[in-house]
Amino acid sequence: MTDIKHHAYLFDAVRCIGCRACMVACSVENNIEMDKTRIWVAGRGVMGEYPILERASMVYHCMHCNEPDCLSACPVGAYSKRSDGPVEYDPKKCIGCRYCMNACPFGVPHFDYDKGLIEGAFIDKCTFCPQRIDNGQEPACVATCPTDALEYGERDELLKIAHERIAAHPDRYIDHVYGEFENGGTSYLILSHVPFSELGLPALPEEPVNEISEKVMEMTIPFALGWGVVLTAVAAGVHLYNKKTETKAKPTETHEEEPEVNK
Amino acid sequence: MKLNLAIDRRLRLKPIALILLFLMGIAFVVAMVRYASGIGPISDLSNAYPWGFWISFDLFTGVAISSGGFLMAGAVYILGIEKFRPLLRPAVLTAFLGYIMVAVALLVDLGHPERIWYMMIFWNHTSVLLEIGICVMSYLTVLAIEFAPVVFEGLKWKKLAHIFHKFVMPFVILGVVLSTLHQSSLGSLLLIQPTKLHPLWWTAILPVMFFVSAVAIGLAMIIFESSLSSRYFKRGLETHLLEKLAKAIPIVLGIYLILKFGELAFAGELRYLFTSGGMSILFWADILIGSVIPIIWFSIKRMRQSPNALLAGAILLLLGMILNRFNVSWFAVQHYDPLTYVPAFMSNVKYIPTLPEMAVSIGIFSAGILAFGLAAKYLPVFESEHHEAHAPSGD
Repeated sequence: MTDIKHHAYLFDAVRCIGCRACMVACSVENNIEMDKTRIWVAGRGVMGEYPILERASMVYHCMHCNEPDCLSACPVGAYSKRSDGPVEYDPKKCIGCRYCMNACPFGVPHFDYDKGLIEGAFIDKCTFCPQRIDNGQEPACVATCPTDALEYGERDELLKIAHERIAAHPDRYIDHVYGEFENGGTSYLILSHVPFSELGLPALPEEPVNEISEKVMEMTIPFALGWGVVLTAVAAGVHLYNKKTETKAKPTETHEEEPEVNK
Repeated sequence: MKLNLAIDRRLRLKPIALILLFLMGIAFVVAMVRYASGIGPISDLSNAYPWGFWISFDLFTGVAISSGGFLMAGAVYILGIEKFRPLLRPAVLTAFLGYIMVAVALLVDLGHPERIWYMMIFWNHTSVLLEIGICVMSYLTVLAIEFAPVVFEGLKWKKLAHIFHKFVMPFVILGVVLSTLHQSSLGSLLLIQPTKLHPLWWTAILPVMFFVSAVAIGLAMIIFESSLSSRYFKRGLETHLLEKLAKAIPIVLGIYLILKFGELAFAGELRYLFTSGGMSILFWADILIGSVIPIIWFSIKRMRQSPNALLAGAILLLLGMILNRFNVSWFAVQHYDPLTYVPAFMSNVKYIPTLPEMAVSIGIFSAGILAFGLAAKYLPVFESEHHEAHAPSGD
């Protein structure tokens, strides 16, 4: 058991050598098929002009957001957020609608497109290795990383380490910890020497992307009830009015159409 | 005024019916392959494009073109505009079939179609998709109740038809509420993609935009479906009624345009109107064909009184608005672009729907057309005005 209150990762793009050992470790630990993975590593390739060359790699991971959009979007509540950080997915509830994939601004959840009804097609994403972290171990990817580009620990402490590292090497790092505030804060924090957009990370505001959608959903039931009452009132009013005019118009019988058509 | 709206009820298997049956057969085979071996082998959907042609066409377009049902039910029962009654049944039938088509298509698109009923027991109240699922299920029930009297009359179970007719009012109100929620919540579905959907389309008032445009689409759809069935079945056309509907279209679309451009100006996004390349072109195509031209078209009295011009105008509006639904749910959604190295599951960032994928939608659509034709032929869907036609006519 651990006493960590908010599990988090810290990824340092300066340290990453793009070896993909984390991918392999993750697949082995979680028994993932060979052609699938929960982590993927993207290399930006060699940039710049000789002799000033640089390259950068990025390890993509579930960001384990503080206010997850997948969780907000899932119609059947297959996602849940542990109070100590990890975002979990329950395949037993999943109906395969893939709305979580649309909702996630990082494009994290992925789907078994090659599975039919009998095998069962599910969503997969990083689970934060609960079988390891709940027993005081690091997640598999972190334990394997040869350059400590991936670190694991208490979120507040990792944030402190990240800011200290920026302060110690202001020439090397961009003065920003991606994930500290993005999308409401994430449990995967990123340090980089190249602009975050070049690592393929979206520019996100501090409010999670689900904010407006959740506000609209809160208004739905009151709106439905109110609209129902208005319609009932209109229908009753029109009915009464028609009855009145009908009895008034009866003696003269000038109506072209009968308002009441009951057979 | 009295029109002969009755239809010749003899069954003749025309080539068009055979073509429709053939298309349905193809869709059935493709669906079986999909159930056996997954969505991947028959479609181009990927982790970068989890939703594609099926969602844009079957869900977004299918629901939008079904909006005539609640408009006519609301007009006749709630507002008491009895003269629209001849348009009511065809509109309810279109909506009923449209929603069945949506539900069937979703059974192909869902990863676990056998679990669709989970939406009734596991509720995540922050999910827009839950609202849509609940609305589709409830509104299908309501439409079945609204359409039931027609079936009972066709079967000559007059008592049962009468009972359903008598208690239809609460269901009509429920149906209008559900439709309002449902049409608008399709817009809300994209609220969660502020960073993915192009700013020309993403706005916090997407649900309002969707509802207003659904009203215009519903009016156009009633004109379209009445005109086509009048041509195909060689029955009279209620031009004097359709003219009244056409008159409302410029007003609805006017509100739509004011909201659209007002919102863009308010959000300071007018600069994207001409500077977003392909997106700007899609935007203007959607606005011009779906709103501006129909406003001008239906503002001219001569156009509203000519059956041909009515149909042509309705088709233009529908094409423009269908493009709008495709834009919002597919063309203008910019997906996350992984960098140079990507494993197989992220590599498919371009999406072009495959033939089998489209064949599923086309097959389901064909079934809808066939069902409409059969219902129109054998059930008292198109009634004569003044309701004498309730007594079953002819053979």
